[in-house]
Amino acid sequence: MELHPFFTAQRVLIVAGKGGVGKSTVAASLAHLSARSGFRTLLVTLDEPANGLLPHELLEQITVSPGRALADYLATKGLGLISRQLAKSGIMELVATTAPGLDDLLVLGRIKAFENQRPTEVIIVDGPAAGHALDLVRAPVQLKRALGTGPISQQADEVLAMLSDPARCKVMLVTTAAITPVTETCEAAEELMEKAHIALAPIVVNKCNPAVPLVDEEILLPSIRQAYNYLSLRAEAQSEAIGVLTDSLEQSQLHLTQHHSDGTALINAIADDLEQAIRDLP
Amino acid sequence: MSTQPVIDMCLSSRVIVTCGTGGVGKTSVAAALGFEIAQQGKRAIVITIDPARRLADAIGLGEGTGNEIQRVPLDTTGELWVTMLDVQETFDSLVRDTSPTPERAKEVMDNSFYRSLSRSLSGTRDYMAAERLYDLCEDERFDVIIVDTPPSRNALDFLESPERLARFLKHPIVKFLVAPSRGGFRLVNAAMQPVLKAISTVVGGDTLTGTAAFLRAFDGMEEEFSRRALVVAATLRSASSSFVIVTAPSRDALTEADHFVAELSRLDISLKLIVANRMPPHFGTLTATEEHSMAQSQSGDLARVYELIAGLHDDADQADSDIQAFIQRTSSAFPTVSIAFATELATDIHDMDSIGALAQQLAAPPTQQ
Repeated sequence: MELHPFFTAQRVLIVAGKGGVGKSTVAASLAHLSARSGFRTLLVTLDEPANGLLPHELLEQITVSPGRALADYLATKGLGLISRQLAKSGIMELVATTAPGLDDLLVLGRIKAFENQRPTEVIIVDGPAAGHALDLVRAPVQLKRALGTGPISQQADEVLAMLSDPARCKVMLVTTAAITPVTETCEAAEELMEKAHIALAPIVVNKCNPAVPLVDEEILLPSIRQAYNYLSLRAEAQSEAIGVLTDSLEQSQLHLTQHHSDGTALINAIADDLEQAIRDLP
Repeated sequence: MSTQPVIDMCLSSRVIVTCGTGGVGKTSVAAALGFEIAQQGKRAIVITIDPARRLADAIGLGEGTGNEIQRVPLDTTGELWVTMLDVQETFDSLVRDTSPTPERAKEVMDNSFYRSLSRSLSGTRDYMAAERLYDLCEDERFDVIIVDTPPSRNALDFLESPERLARFLKHPIVKFLVAPSRGGFRLVNAAMQPVLKAISTVVGGDTLTGTAAFLRAFDGMEEEFSRRALVVAATLRSASSSFVIVTAPSRDALTEADHFVAELSRLDISLKLIVANRMPPHFGTLTATEEHSMAQSQSGDLARVYELIAGLHDDADQADSDIQAFIQRTSSAFPTVSIAFATELATDIHDMDSIGALAQQLAAPPTQQ
């Protein structure tokens, strides 16, 4: 597949995966690849900006803080003064408690606003951990049920319309090639598609170990054999996990190799892997 | 320093809390500590508040069982039990326990605000984790309770949730909402008016009325609520509670581990043990340099195999030095902290045998690690 149809298949791509799979690095690398391939790109991170992502003329980065989403929302509604008073008295916490998921909804609301306001072609969101991605996308439904009418309820409607339209928004799940994260990814995928009606982009399988050639153990130095067996077993377990993923989900997969660098070097290496994997897609 | 720090900790603690970021094997370590306690003839229960239910996978419990307590079949004199945190179930049983009458309990549970509150996962989950811990501490069937925190940066929030809850229930606006209302909110004093208006603007007037109704139905229960919350807070800060940071040698994991060290310092809680998990194993007697030069003297598949083996060796050396640097940093904040190591297995931990093997590695005397 060419990069153009891949990046323009939707406006907003939410990257989600459980801790330790390298979700944030994949999101940053994807944004880097998109910008260097000539697409005007916006990377939205939650809480902290991406580490090691170099500036690019087509790349803009915005950090949204879920903890401050309510205060930000009130400020945009001309209630900045009250919002500061509320924050000071600790009542903001109470409001967040009375309307659980409010922060999540407001974050999605801001992402939806970027979709309309910016001249961006590609919006990539470094989303929350896989389990929490479900909380995030469930928030609008729950709040609608709890709140009935009002500005928040209207916001929830608009966010739901964005989430359930595959031309506007898809979720890209990231996993590693081990059976536990693969199982969790399959569960998250089913919930996203069936309960939240959200379309999935190809699944990223990150940190793949290289294949181990089959050689006759006898020709290896005895002191090396144990290491060889370990590597072979590890490769076998990895193929098994990828097999489970292929059998369970029909989405195509983007396989990325394990890199030991960090920062900018890591982002560049993963962007190269991603480009190759996308071009290899049918 | 003790020659068996992990066993000592297992035998002397009432509560053990494991924290760490995702992917470091935190849940497996929690289960392995429980296994070790059972080996030592005591009764342990592991509670995981991780909604991903990885503990269930690791010990073959399969699909979700809610708050149900399950015994793991083991060939030991002690016992290992496991349970999950079901937020809704915990909240319901708390309401039933603390409610003055069954009718009042029903009134609370029928309230739509209560239903959405108990279903939401973030803040409520923290409160309920603390509440569940209170229950288990009261339960004489268990000697040691192991709490496996969720794999997030905010994992330690539940430590503060008892205080936060107590503070919340004492908040003037909560007290005000609980007070019997005559004529709705019209009699609100002048200072409160703009605040309530702002809240209504955001969440809608219905929510505020629903919240007030909930808090009124809740009236009288909050004292017991707060009392329990404070008991848990005291237990977690006492000498009978041990905190464990689980980490892997990757840079991401170590950055998060540093964050947990800072959090524990901030909360004035002592760190008992670092588990350096998923360490790449060392094999054979050659050095990485020797393996690299062997790869160069070979060709084809054999060269590739030597190259991979040398690469594994490089990873293991790098992991050792990164972990040592982390231990150095952490020891300056917590001079008495102990360290236990466990190597990365070729396959995922997925059954009780591999948990047992992990327990054995963790409990080995430091010199053999």
